[in-house]
Amino acid sequence: MDKQKLIASLNEIVGPDNVLSSEMDLMLYSYDASLDKAKPDVVVLPDSTEEVSKIMALAYKEKIPILGRGSGTNLTGGTVPIKGGIVVHFSRMNRILEIDYANRTATVQPGVITLDLQTEVLKKGFVYQPDPASQKVSTIGGNVSENSGGPHCLKYGVTSNHVQGLEVVLNDGTVINTGGKARDNAGYDITALVVGSEGTVGLVTKAILKLERAPESVKTLLAIFDAIEDGANTVSAIVAEGIIPATLEMMDNTVMRAVEETIKVGYPLDAACVLIIELDGMPEGMDDNASKIVEICRQNHVRDVRLAKDEAERNVLWAGRKGAFGSVGQVRPSYLCCDGTVPRTKLPEVLNQVIEIGKKYNLPIGNVFHAGDGNLHPLIMFDERDEDERSRVLKASTEILKACADAGGTISGEHGVGMEKLKETAFIFNECDLEFERQIKRAFDPDDIINPGKMIPANS
Amino acid sequence: MNIVQLKKLSYDEVAKCNKCGFCLPSCPTYLVKKAESYSARGRNAITRFAIENKLELNEDTERAIFTCLGCGACTAVCLSSVQTKDLIFQNRECQVDAGFYPKVAKRLVKILEESHNISDEDQEDRAEWQELIKELPEDAFEKETADVVFFVGCVASFFPMVQKIPANMAKIMQSAGVDFTILGGEEWCCGFPLIGAGMPEKLAAMKDHNLKKVAKVGAKTIVFTCPSCYHTWHHFYKSDAKLMHASQLILELIKDKKIEFNKNIKGVATYHDPCDLGRNTGVYEEPREIIKAIPGLEFVELPMNRKFSVCCGGGGNVEMTDPDLSAQVAQTKLASIKAVGADTVLTACQQCVRTMETRAKRSKTDLVVKDLTQLVIEAME
Ligand SMILES: Cc1cc2nc3c(=O)[nH]c(=O)nc-3n(C[C@H](O)[C@H](O)[C@H](O)COP(=O)(O)OP(=O)(O)OC[C@H]3O[C@@H](n4cnc5c(N)ncnc54)[C@H](O)[C@@H]3O)c2cc1C
Ligand code: SF4
Ligand code: SF4
Repeated sequence: MDKQKLIASLNEIVGPDNVLSSEMDLMLYSYDASLDKAKPDVVVLPDSTEEVSKIMALAYKEKIPILGRGSGTNLTGGTVPIKGGIVVHFSRMNRILEIDYANRTATVQPGVITLDLQTEVLKKGFVYQPDPASQKVSTIGGNVSENSGGPHCLKYGVTSNHVQGLEVVLNDGTVINTGGKARDNAGYDITALVVGSEGTVGLVTKAILKLERAPESVKTLLAIFDAIEDGANTVSAIVAEGIIPATLEMMDNTVMRAVEETIKVGYPLDAACVLIIELDGMPEGMDDNASKIVEICRQNHVRDVRLAKDEAERNVLWAGRKGAFGSVGQVRPSYLCCDGTVPRTKLPEVLNQVIEIGKKYNLPIGNVFHAGDGNLHPLIMFDERDEDERSRVLKASTEILKACADAGGTISGEHGVGMEKLKETAFIFNECDLEFERQIKRAFDPDDIINPGKMIPANS
Repeated sequence: MNIVQLKKLSYDEVAKCNKCGFCLPSCPTYLVKKAESYSARGRNAITRFAIENKLELNEDTERAIFTCLGCGACTAVCLSSVQTKDLIFQNRECQVDAGFYPKVAKRLVKILEESHNISDEDQEDRAEWQELIKELPEDAFEKETADVVFFVGCVASFFPMVQKIPANMAKIMQSAGVDFTILGGEEWCCGFPLIGAGMPEKLAAMKDHNLKKVAKVGAKTIVFTCPSCYHTWHHFYKSDAKLMHASQLILELIKDKKIEFNKNIKGVATYHDPCDLGRNTGVYEEPREIIKAIPGLEFVELPMNRKFSVCCGGGGNVEMTDPDLSAQVAQTKLASIKAVGADTVLTACQQCVRTMETRAKRSKTDLVVKDLTQLVIEAME
């Protein structure tokens, strides 16, 4: 379809104010928080499922690539339109449609900011658990598509454990509803398939999310270690003891220093690493578990364990953790976050490998991650403008993911594959696995127009 | 400024933006427009693409770059501390050189150069606000020498809606026995609008003139009711005098018992931190201490306060370049004020008062908007 005609048709669907096609606008939708870039042909900002359905039907008829975009904070090129086409920006579809406290569900449009929902339900003593560090900007549509996780997912599970139903616009514009407010649903679990599909099977226009009662009490500990191995061993020892804290986060010295530049948390800057351990739930038994954890820390040569005195202290500890990615910008302007997962007991070994890889490529690497899940996030710091450095970064990243896969882990904890890790899927899937994924994709999208070139590598 | 110069000045800073997007929900113009070009991340990308010769400056980039409020909320949440507001103002200089900048900016410069005030009025009318004062002294607050110069600023001098601010400030100082003077027709615009217009080099003439006049009076202190004049003197003037915002001087007067409050003020009030006073110059506590010293008044904070305060919509010359956008930002601000249950919003800036009061009237929002000086006078009487 001729571009002017495409724009005219879209104008009719959403109104000219909500169709962006200037060279500047296209450049501004060419990126996300990853290092990739590619320009779309046009950007639309719909306001309803009906409009999304019409846009999708148009793309289907004209065989134009199309992808959904929330806040563009994903780290793997998920919203980069490598084949051009239409970008559907969900910023206007940001309404909380219903909060049903009796059934403990919230029904929201995809553009709702995660933290906005969480703030709203907390007023009534409820929580929506998934808490990616980007929660104050990421959207529910993005969280659903990436199956995002966060510190509290150790105990409560990732996004997929909190989505009960979806409204999805299929490739030809058909609108389907999956799941619902009831917990058990007959038939294929389409909800589960769409969650984590990185926007490759349809556009999500509504989500029914699970709410839970906010925990009655919370205890947050900061355990300080002089050796990374001691911290890592503590993690597996705690879980082996049968205690599942709400969070078990690790942060190394490099990252703590960067964080202190922007947020004054008071992390011990001479320590090798810290663990942020949070317990939540009923007050009964909590002290017991806390003492057990302190004891395990001691057995693993902890230097000191501090308890957050009040909500303010706890907030500061978390502000530091949640600001960690951004803060490495204080060290070098760009970073690449490798998102690999390993069995917990392999943490010390793989962390050492990461350090070696950093040395080999002469790149600073910081570590801040969901240790309880074995989900590593080595942050390789560099300057995107330096071509040589950039190519070393990509090599180092591949080696780190290989190390994770070799240790019996995987190449994505929660940030997805996108276009950044297509090659690395070979570390964990064989050709049969990948071909089956392609079959599923074809069942939803035979013309390969929905976020093409993402998540599954093309047939070799 | 051309692209080569922009690269020298801005490239390293803008490269620190790693596109994380954390600034999106803090940028008032993005919250209204919901498109990337109206966000801090988008505006940084424009600067970066322009420097890398991937994007030409044109009418589109003009719209994006000249609708920034200069509020600085983006930097307050940016973990890489990217100085987005400064980058945008530097980009504006480039836009001006490329010929893509709002017509109103061009007119503004001409007016400032010819009339020395933003309203294109006769300078002699600068002290018209004095007519609001019943017991005006013979010298009409214009002395040859004084300890303190009261720098009134253009907006409060010429816009009737806010002329009571300098009148009230003068009354406060008068009753506290402060030895002060105004510069009257010899006060020129501080030049702040020129920075927002992308023509900071034109500020020099105004700066030189104002510095000379203050020196002649021999004042050791200059006091401002306008946060933007105060901010401009702080960051762009080199003056030996002590610079004080009105709220700082008033608090001193309260502490020294030079002014006393006799009247109970009823109601629930909140405080809006003006961007140029709070985030951009660092004055957060003095206004709050004054409010807490007022008998009777109940005080509630806005959820986004101090460093995270949300602009009223009146910043960055946007009121001139895109009045609708400015009004929409103001409307959002009013909603957040009503949400905390306040019947009055206090602030310490004539521009914030104008923006919020105008919007409240137009949208029939039941809200009283007051400058601190007015509150203080009411409680003194
Ligand atoms: C500093 C920083 C910290 C982060 N921390 C975490 C973390 O702790 N945990 C974590 O899991 N992630 C984290 N992320 C990654 C990112 O924030 C998450 O992946 C988030 O869920 C993306 O949300 P978004 O709204 O920005 O989605 P986008 O980036 O806009 O989109 C992500 C994907 O979802 C698709 N998509 C978006 N909306 C729709 C829709 N309505 N229908 C269909 N497809 C759609 C897009 O096509 C794309 O493939 C972090 C990112 C940054 C920059
Ligand atoms: S300006 Fe700061 S907060 Fe905004 S995208 Fe860039 S790095 Fe992130
Ligand atoms: S200064 Fe204010 S308006 Fe401008 S980009 Fe930053 S947050 Fe947005």
